[in-house]
Amino acid sequence: MSVNHQCSYDSGRRGNARRVLGSLGIVLGVAALVLSFTAVAEVPGAIPPQGTHDGKDVAQPIEFPHNIHADVNKINCMYCHTYARRSKVAGIPPTSKCMGCHSVIATDKPRIKKLTEYWENREPPPWNKVHDVPDYVHFTHEKHLKRFVFDNDALPTENVSEVCAFCHGEVKTMTVAHKTKPLNMGFCKRCHEANHGPFDCWQCHK
Amino acid sequence: MSLRNLLENWGDYRKGREQGGHHKYEHMWGMAIDLNLCIGCNACSVACYAENNLAVVGKEKFEKGHALHWMRVERYWDEPNLGEDRVSEYQVHGASFVPTNCQNCNAATCEPVCPVAATYHTPDGLNAQVYNRCIGSRYCSNNCPYRLRYFNFWSYYESSWPAPLHMQLNPDLTVRDKGVMEKCTFCVQRIRAAKDKAKMENRVVAEGGFVNVGDQQFKVAPGRAKVQDMEFQTACQQTCPTSAISFGDMLNPDSQVSKLWRGHQVELGKTSQKKPNPDLRGYRLLEELNTDPCVMFLERVREV
Repeated sequence: MSVNHQCSYDSGRRGNARRVLGSLGIVLGVAALVLSFTAVAEVPGAIPPQGTHDGKDVAQPIEFPHNIHADVNKINCMYCHTYARRSKVAGIPPTSKCMGCHSVIATDKPRIKKLTEYWENREPPPWNKVHDVPDYVHFTHEKHLKRFVFDNDALPTENVSEVCAFCHGEVKTMTVAHKTKPLNMGFCKRCHEANHGPFDCWQCHK
Repeated sequence: MSLRNLLENWGDYRKGREQGGHHKYEHMWGMAIDLNLCIGCNACSVACYAENNLAVVGKEKFEKGHALHWMRVERYWDEPNLGEDRVSEYQVHGASFVPTNCQNCNAATCEPVCPVAATYHTPDGLNAQVYNRCIGSRYCSNNCPYRLRYFNFWSYYESSWPAPLHMQLNPDLTVRDKGVMEKCTFCVQRIRAAKDKAKMENRVVAEGGFVNVGDQQFKVAPGRAKVQDMEFQTACQQTCPTSAISFGDMLNPDSQVSKLWRGHQVELGKTSQKKPNPDLRGYRLLEELNTDPCVMFLERVREV
């Protein structure tokens, strides 16, 4: 009886300890979850897609510094990629858009000299595509921007780069864009599931 | 439609719409073809080739039945040989034409036999074919009573579109490779563009519920795009010189195609149309097989 009592007493103490540890764990877990969410979910009303990818470096005719434009000078992504909110493709800006600034800004830098050369020869720099989805995929930038930016009152339009980062990664920290997200069907599907996007095959496959 | 949905609702999958189906519909695209207006010029077929990146297979393969004409104009010589003494296999006068594209059946026979669910019914009432899911078993084609599914026996990319002809390919559509089944999609790329446009302009029906078409009731999904009638046309409809083809949403009671179906008392979900007035010309192809096709034909008025 006493042994039993001892045992039950012991187990009770151990149980208490376990409970304390457990609750500590839950608190820590919640804290970690909150932290991770505050670290990742900068876009209110949206759950970002999960998954990373280490794409090949794609060489470009001019080593375009995204970081200087988007991070240092805080230029909105849609200033240059102006078709993103209007059409399926985000588009590469025409050289005239580059020259709008760079006929006066930083004209002595070697990259700008190369750009000016292209401009004067009246030929666009042959940019190479970094983020490409297969031909059988129908993807519209405009509808995604509408859902996450323009219909999302909680997100100021200046912060659109957070939404772009869902699929394009932190382009702000890159010079030439580099593929950091897988952009495969699972990647799309997980996001559509979490954000209640359309789930029909023919919505995306063509 | 996820695989889970397919497995859990397998019993509902083949039931078709009359038993409730498994869908909340967004649209129900349908067609009406007036054979009185059809002159058999094959312009619809040509337009389809241009719009949908169809390969031209050549004479030898055409003879073997490898042609990929999604919209084919069938010819029948079932009329008397007017003004001719000699009766030949292909008489000069009196041919009837039936332009046949995929009937987009609501109880499609091709769908349940696909081993990989590459063909399925969309909430738009379309019979979809997902090319990159298709493994080329050809069960669907064998089960189609209309023979309106076409198989890519060969890769036609280089032979059909040698440079610079590849520049004319439609970018809204895949160029199918060999081993893949294909068929008329009711120009789904145009449907998709119209729906995207409507949604971008906030033309959306917020509430779900039920829509009655005839004595049939359709569950409809909330938040569906509000596409105007004739906002877009299919390629065959657009090119038809006599406007024999009408296309539209049958869930919209004011659309041209709904009016034609109603006017000729042809209804979805029936295996035969009991029409009191024999002057009404509407019928559907092989509807007695309970495929419930979404294409209605208006019979040709004959002289004799």
